[in-house]
Amino acid sequence: MLTIVRFLWANWHKALLGVPLTRPDFHRTTGAHGATRSVVLTATSNNVIGAVHPENGTVAWRYLFEDRDPVVGYKAYNDRLATLSGPGGATFRILDVNSGHLLHELHLHSADSGRLFEPVNLGVAIAFDDSDKSKDTFVLTNGHTLRRINGKSGDIVWGWTSPDQTSLVVYSKVVTTSDAIYLIGLAKSFASYTVHVSAISPDNGELLSDADVPSSIINGPQGLIVVSHEGTRGKSVRLAWLEQARIHSVALTPQLKDKPTIKKGSAYLQVHDIGLQEKGLFVATKEDGSGRVIRFSEDGALKVFWEFADSVKSPKYTESTYAGGLDKDGWPYIARVYWSHVFRQASAHVLAPHLAEGKGLVTGFTFPFETQKHGIIANVAVDAANPEEFRVLSRLVLTTTTGAVQLWQQDQHQWTREESLADIRVAEMVELPEPQLVASQVGIEETESFGARLRRQLADAQDFPQYAINFAKRFATGSYASASSSIAPASNDTSPLSRDTFGFRKIIVAATSHGKVFGIDSANGEIIWSRVFGLGWAAEVGGRIFPLKIFTTRTVSDGDTPQVVIVGQRKADNSLVDTVAFHIDALTGEDVSGTSIGQDILQGQDVIAGALVEAYLFQDGPTKYVVLLDEYLQVHLFPDTPENADSFHKVAPSIHLPLRTGTAGSHRLGGHKVSPEKEFTGRHIAYPIWTASLPPNEDVRSIVTRPHEPVASLGKVLGNRTTLYKYLNPGVVVVLTSTSTPSGPATSCGVYVIDGTKGTILYHANLPAAGGVCDVKAAFTENWLVYHYYDDGSANADQAKSYRMVSLEFYEGSGVDDKTSSSDLSAYSNDTTRISVYEQSYVFPRGISTITTTSTKFGITVKDILVAGNNHQVQSFPRRFLDPRRPNRKPTAEEQEEWLIQYDPLLPDDPKRVLSHRYQVARIRKIITSPALLESTSLVFGYGVDLFFTRVAPSKTFDVLNENFNKAQLVLTVAGLALAIVITKPMVRRKRLRERWYAS
Amino acid sequence: MECVVGLNVIGSKEKVRNCIDACGTPLLTSSVTSTVDITMMIPLLILTLVSLLCSSLAFDLKGRVVWNEICPGIGDLGQAKVVLDNGNLYGSVTRNGQFVIPEVPSGTYILSVVAHDHAFERLRIDVLDTDTLPEVRPYVPGTPLSPPSPVTLPYPITLIPRARYDYYTPQESFNLVGMFQNPMMLLMLGTGVLMLAMPYIMKNMDPEVLQEFKERQAKITDIQSSIQNGDLKTGLSAMMGGEEKTSPAPAPKPQASAARNRGKNKRR
Repeated sequence: MLTIVRFLWANWHKALLGVPLTRPDFHRTTGAHGATRSVVLTATSNNVIGAVHPENGTVAWRYLFEDRDPVVGYKAYNDRLATLSGPGGATFRILDVNSGHLLHELHLHSADSGRLFEPVNLGVAIAFDDSDKSKDTFVLTNGHTLRRINGKSGDIVWGWTSPDQTSLVVYSKVVTTSDAIYLIGLAKSFASYTVHVSAISPDNGELLSDADVPSSIINGPQGLIVVSHEGTRGKSVRLAWLEQARIHSVALTPQLKDKPTIKKGSAYLQVHDIGLQEKGLFVATKEDGSGRVIRFSEDGALKVFWEFADSVKSPKYTESTYAGGLDKDGWPYIARVYWSHVFRQASAHVLAPHLAEGKGLVTGFTFPFETQKHGIIANVAVDAANPEEFRVLSRLVLTTTTGAVQLWQQDQHQWTREESLADIRVAEMVELPEPQLVASQVGIEETESFGARLRRQLADAQDFPQYAINFAKRFATGSYASASSSIAPASNDTSPLSRDTFGFRKIIVAATSHGKVFGIDSANGEIIWSRVFGLGWAAEVGGRIFPLKIFTTRTVSDGDTPQVVIVGQRKADNSLVDTVAFHIDALTGEDVSGTSIGQDILQGQDVIAGALVEAYLFQDGPTKYVVLLDEYLQVHLFPDTPENADSFHKVAPSIHLPLRTGTAGSHRLGGHKVSPEKEFTGRHIAYPIWTASLPPNEDVRSIVTRPHEPVASLGKVLGNRTTLYKYLNPGVVVVLTSTSTPSGPATSCGVYVIDGTKGTILYHANLPAAGGVCDVKAAFTENWLVYHYYDDGSANADQAKSYRMVSLEFYEGSGVDDKTSSSDLSAYSNDTTRISVYEQSYVFPRGISTITTTSTKFGITVKDILVAGNNHQVQSFPRRFLDPRRPNRKPTAEEQEEWLIQYDPLLPDDPKRVLSHRYQVARIRKIITSPALLESTSLVFGYGVDLFFTRVAPSKTFDVLNENFNKAQLVLTVAGLALAIVITKPMVRRKRLRERWYAS
Repeated sequence: MECVVGLNVIGSKEKVRNCIDACGTPLLTSSVTSTVDITMMIPLLILTLVSLLCSSLAFDLKGRVVWNEICPGIGDLGQAKVVLDNGNLYGSVTRNGQFVIPEVPSGTYILSVVAHDHAFERLRIDVLDTDTLPEVRPYVPGTPLSPPSPVTLPYPITLIPRARYDYYTPQESFNLVGMFQNPMMLLMLGTGVLMLAMPYIMKNMDPEVLQEFKERQAKITDIQSSIQNGDLKTGLSAMMGGEEKTSPAPAPKPQASAARNRGKNKRR
């Protein structure tokens, strides 16, 4: 019970949002007393909408959307944020922009009737009614339905659906005025699109007018820009688009009578929506690349307001990114950001159109953006202030291709959020070396003279009083290294990375799918180093690297700095797939192979020209290397040295590999052996020896293997002094399958335990597929398998619907004292299939996203089950409750001796065993565990959207003095006893004396 | 799913509204509501009409979380959702505690609340084809679904936060009184006091009783030492046989009296 308290200081949690999908927005709200607050709003690839405090980069709030409810649009207005999610905008929500609290949730249409568009934000739009204080929202969903939603009650006021839904008009924009709501869409014609506008009455949702605007647009609705201007005669709106390199525009009136006009002058390449359409501003780039600000002026015409100097395409700098923002008085600002190849710095020009008597004022600055660390600037948001005339202070929020979000105040870097950590693909905890001891005198003792030695020893002795004082102090106060004390180094600590007394401090090497790898200090979650993956030859065409596996190829115990190998798949933009390996020093992130220069981009090594099937770590004595199999099952080694090749050649005949092969939906499981000699291609090749005899419509979803951990005891001694020997056949794998009708949902799920060397099925269970989805999670360690699934009660009419956790144990032979030495048996022995299985099913309190077991150094400590629940908690379930041998009656004395408790179908949901306690650890995808130096303790790192690290001691910290050990009590007791001796000694002496005197 | 209206007037109105909400066709509103007012007269007609109009709809399950001292508001609850079964159907809890689970097909469901810090009871919900309102019943996890509990709860569903998860165990700190309240400590103190007081007690004891006491003590130490040596048998037999030995042997008695006499003599 005290475990949680004891580890309270030992954990950390990093709340993340995910990599922003679009440009973040500065959103400013005015409080009751005129004070303004601003937040940076963003929608991310993790399906989260979040707000970040611009002052310090911390998360103000976040709202997590379900996976099948993807965010397709959001818009903030005053104190509220409207979101649309699900296919075609099925669900509408209103959140409070300052707290993230949900105000209203409204289901607009079923997910099945939602129309899927590409891109997803096509066909949905949100507009707020700014004509009065009603806070009503106009919502366009499915490309043809407009609804007015009451701001106070969240109910639908009216709805309008395009009468001809079958027509090819898809609306994508909503503009509100007090007279009419304009729906702007595109109708498909032969080679291009035609603009279609509908005007709808804001009061009752009736169609006022409907018109096709003569136009021909090629590149979809991104090129449509609606500019509005709040004039003396109310709000005037104009629709602009690019057609044949000219800007065409048409005024929007309720009658839709206006004819399009063409703006004369320069030819344009592109128009950019910079978020200032309501201020009548947008940016258009000319054919030579120079950017022009175009303004919708008072007289209803579009005019060029500004041309950014030196924005012509040039090899000296990159193309510019444009962004718009408002200051607290509502004045617009336009920022242009680009990277200069010459100065190796980023530049920003901020235009304030209202300054300098309305002629516009540009403020420029350069800032030291680290492109080696963060990649390329992807999106920019700007926020500005105008403290005095001719002075503009601006804040820029940058998002980069590696998933970083940065805030720059002018040229000062304020904060960086590494949001790609919300998308970690593989991670590993790597042990740190011991602290370097000063050993300067070693070796000189033989040569130094007597005098010199005396002098040195005297000098050393000077420190003795200090040492003695320290010793006494330590003895009295008892400040030893304790299992719960913080292991985080002081912030000003510059000493090299080293482990703590108990090995709690490790370095977490985590590779993300945004092309970046991080070294994270497990003590406090700080990023120690980070490297950007190089793309190799694909740098010219572009591409992405998806890390698949990570292996620790050298540990501290091998005598040098630890090294890791990350195996990834590179998908180049020209659709070529390669397998790349990166060899990194885990302490510094340096490239071990030496192909990268300094702290430049990390260069990998192309191992396979093609996709990877599987990769394993092989250990032969002290050398470790990675074995990779390509699609043709050819064996590749990394690092490919002659020693490794020799070593592999020796072990090749004894290798058995169960592999999952095939295409999506029809994966098969087959056992493979490696050819003892190299084929003519110069490589070993794996050839199939068996295939699992599963029905043809059964798809192998995943293979769960046992972690390579020491097994402390080979058997379990029972209460009656007999022994059950654990079934520890090293080739056993757990296979999770799903059975489905062709192209239909899954009808049932399967769990198999298969002997991977010859394909014998040792155990099989058929599970219901709730909702047509197989979502079985399994953890396998030693001889113990635990799996979790949802039972929808379909198999049995009166059976309860609930989540189930099934616990299984495999023992050798037919019962007690039947030993077959399964861990050393030949794969071809008949005894490998002679096993007995104990099985028990429990009702589990909730759904989970991942399951794992704790792991310790020697495997003596009891293993707990760790799960990440759907309520954003990481919780441990003790083995004692999951023991499959729990009796169905009151335990006998012998069973009590084994600590068995009576079977209860319900697993207790103990909040004291929630490792993440008050932290909301969002959507943990995987939990990895790693042993500490202390046998009792296991380190736990969970990653998903958030990162979470803690330590657990399933059997309590038996190998370290209890944290609650009362030193004061001990000292007091000893002192009390000493006092008692002092007092009683003379008494006893006197008594003895008297006895002598009066003895007979 | 079909949206069938029963004969219950109030219920059918609600259901019709539900259908209209979901259809989102404002034109229908007036006509249908007016016809509902005369439902008793021509129910069949409307039944067919409504089921034709929105035949692909299901029930919207509504309810609310009642804020109480355990959970005073949304700020405390955080982002929470009310789910049916394994979460394929769900509704989020809004700031005023309300939730709607849209489009629930008929069937039996277990309703639970997914919240980070708060525990809620589970409910069994039966959305029926025939009746208009779903049946709400309490449900104990791990129990079979049939037969259903005889207790029914009102609809719309009311959920009450039952408990706030307590993740922490208070850290024990050193205090002197607590230390002396420890039974081990009390035992130790007791023995200490007894040890000090023993000579005086012995002195004032009746010599005969004292003799008996000494014997018994010797026996106990004997048993103790035999247990410590792992020789349970002797210990046990000593325990068993102890009584037997003492009762048939009256021999020590005169000794005891002699001792008493001697003791008396000595004192005098």
